Amino acid sequence: MHLMRWSNVCKDENMEVWKLEDTRPLIGHYKANGCGGMSRSQGSSLKRKRPDTNTASQPLLDAERVLYDLIRSKEDMGIWTRDMKRETNLPDNVVTKSLKALQVKKLIKEVVNIQSKGRKHYMAVEFEPSKELTGGAWYVEGNLDTEYIKILKKTCVRVLSKLKVATAEGISESINKTGLCATECSTQQIAEILRALVLDNEIMEVRSSGSGEFSSIPIGAVCYRCTNKGGLGGGGPTIGAMASIPCGVCPRITQCTPDGIISPKTCAYYTKWLDF
Amino acid sequence: MATQYGVQLAVHLISSHFGNLVAKVCDCLLRKGTLTLASVIRFTELPPQQVKSCILVLIQHNCVQAFAIQQEVGFGEAPRVVTQYMALFHNILHRMRFAKFLAIVSEELDKECEEILEGLLQHGRLTLEQILDRAKSNQSEGEPVVQDALRESFLKLVRAHFVERCPASEPFLAPPSEEETPARKRGAKSAKLVEEPQTIEQRAIAAAAPMDAKRFSVIINTGTDVDDSPNVTAGEKRKQDALELDKETGASCEKDVLWRANFEEFVRCLRHKACIANVKTRLDDGAAIVLSAMLEATRSEEKKVKTENSVPLSMDTIFEGVMKSEAGRSMTLERVRGSLIQLGCAPCVRGAAESYSVDLKNIIELAQNDEVESITLKRYGRDAYRIFRLLSKSCRLLETDKISDTTFVEKKDTAKILYQLWKDEYLQMEKLNLHGSRQSQFLLWKVTKDTLWGHVLNEMYHSALNLSLRVAYELEQEQEIIQLPREKRVGALGNRFERLRKVRILLESSLMKLDDAIMLFNDF
Repeated sequence: MHLMRWSNVCKDENMEVWKLEDTRPLIGHYKANGCGGMSRSQGSSLKRKRPDTNTASQPLLDAERVLYDLIRSKEDMGIWTRDMKRETNLPDNVVTKSLKALQVKKLIKEVVNIQSKGRKHYMAVEFEPSKELTGGAWYVEGNLDTEYIKILKKTCVRVLSKLKVATAEGISESINKTGLCATECSTQQIAEILRALVLDNEIMEVRSSGSGEFSSIPIGAVCYRCTNKGGLGGGGPTIGAMASIPCGVCPRITQCTPDGIISPKTCAYYTKWLDF
Repeated sequence: MATQYGVQLAVHLISSHFGNLVAKVCDCLLRKGTLTLASVIRFTELPPQQVKSCILVLIQHNCVQAFAIQQEVGFGEAPRVVTQYMALFHNILHRMRFAKFLAIVSEELDKECEEILEGLLQHGRLTLEQILDRAKSNQSEGEPVVQDALRESFLKLVRAHFVERCPASEPFLAPPSEEETPARKRGAKSAKLVEEPQTIEQRAIAAAAPMDAKRFSVIINTGTDVDDSPNVTAGEKRKQDALELDKETGASCEKDVLWRANFEEFVRCLRHKACIANVKTRLDDGAAIVLSAMLEATRSEEKKVKTENSVPLSMDTIFEGVMKSEAGRSMTLERVRGSLIQLGCAPCVRGAAESYSVDLKNIIELAQNDEVESITLKRYGRDAYRIFRLLSKSCRLLETDKISDTTFVEKKDTAKILYQLWKDEYLQMEKLNLHGSRQSQFLLWKVTKDTLWGHVLNEMYHSALNLSLRVAYELEQEQEIIQLPREKRVGALGNRFERLRKVRILLESSLMKLDDAIMLFNDF
């Protein structure tokens, strides 16, 4: 997937001709609707009507020009307002006013920096935030895309239940071939999901012995199978002895003493537990 | 491990069984360590005769071991020998699980054996004569006690190693300086190979224990030597001669031999059960059947309870053992092989034959991990569970962001969870400061199992104590209801009685399940 960078080639009173000038690799998460409705075709010229607000041709004030050039130069990393102020030495109120103007003129946009969500971070509109800013494929608008991760996890478990035992590549191929997910997932992404499922104790990691159920997998290769407790039957981990009693999960265990204010005789959790 | 709540639980058990005075003496020995009688009297501030009686009760019930030691004296004075007393923490805790020991004997042997064991557990230690007398006094009318049958049941218990000779009541420990000299003479290199020096308590236990050949040896009045030791054939003639010499005194000596329940064997059985149960849940029934067969075949050959690997067995012996059980009868050789692979048994070639051994230590560790992870899940939630499992598997320091990325937990939530786990002593934390273009501080996290396991065990002791105290409290609250005759327990009173019954079942079964977990961390 490539980043498109449009530049004005020529213009007349009624039309603008835009040509794809440059491409850059894009790191980030794409959903089915792509990025802002822009075409992904490369090297083609498009004729489109001049929009009513011709942003590129609007004159920029000096401060706006300085800030805009600085922001554009940071490409997909963008820049924090404080860093802008430091690099340009412009007064605060001038920076604030200029940034607002540039946003109205649709030349820049505010983006979330996952490393520091409280800071105002700006980027030229033609760029998509880098992985360092977005957090990677699993983040959207600065937050973890929990829904997407949940769907992928369920899909992987379903596929593994059918395959019985498989490598990350095998599972990834199966998912992409059968179109179980709206977007294509890389083996790396599937491997990350599988690692999380191992931590959830829904599946376990094993090494191929090369024989029996592992016959199609090279000896020693890392592969996965559903745990007895996991799989479509549902479950996850079994409940241990401590987790089955109030004391095992009590937030006040350190303050509890045999004859204290908090004690087994006075314990509200016990009373509830023994309320037959 | 006698942690703070371990001691409290032990003292509570002694108090429930023997009263507050005995509990006070026991508490003193557990908290202060090995002491002389004079020291116990001083610390407890009880009358000397009472302290002596309490110590005798504790010795009778295998909760205290006495030993004699030479005390250092001034120049010119004759050496003095003093008696010291040490509390046996593990044996005290075993009192919680007598019902489990009885169930093992009931399952493996028979009702008569179970009754003999019950007597030994009730009284701590008995001679064979006392065992027979007890059976006579317990007999119902019309059911005469057959002495020979009783002796046979007793022998079954000894042969199965469920009953053993009591240790020496007061062994003498030679001064340590005489024993250390040979080690020093061996030099620096070989000194490194010498094991960590034993504590005085470990030396006392070792000195008190009967020799292996005698431990499970029974000489009954007919003069026949029933010996379970491995070299019985070679030693038989010598023993017969010895018996002749001791004919007059021998019978009376053997009459005075005290017997007690062999806790070690019961713990071994429970360890095996725990391994089999874990394998059944984690793998499948087939693997559990194979493991069960292997452990049953080699139980008497295990040198110590916490043995790391099962005793190696050939495929033929394993298959034979599997066939003996009803569930295993339908298993093919191929299936048994498959189960051995699942169990992680790599065949090892000894001589001409392949043999297989199971890593029991690994199974126990997996079971321990399951228990702690279960607590983490219930107490802190699923995200914390994933984070804990990541750190537990990594066995190294990991940085906050790395943890967040791998576990798919939001960065700010990850930080909160890690801090909470650290505050509750589940994790260790280290700060890393990097000085570059900008100074950054990173927080690194790690699970340290030794520390965490000790902390979890202490919480388990605390919980077990709480369960016991709550049972006692509930019974106390409903004292009147319990004493009512059945016909009067109707209506509201009947409901209260029914509630009490359910409460007791829930609390006591929870305590037994928790005790399994305590054994997992303390005894296995």
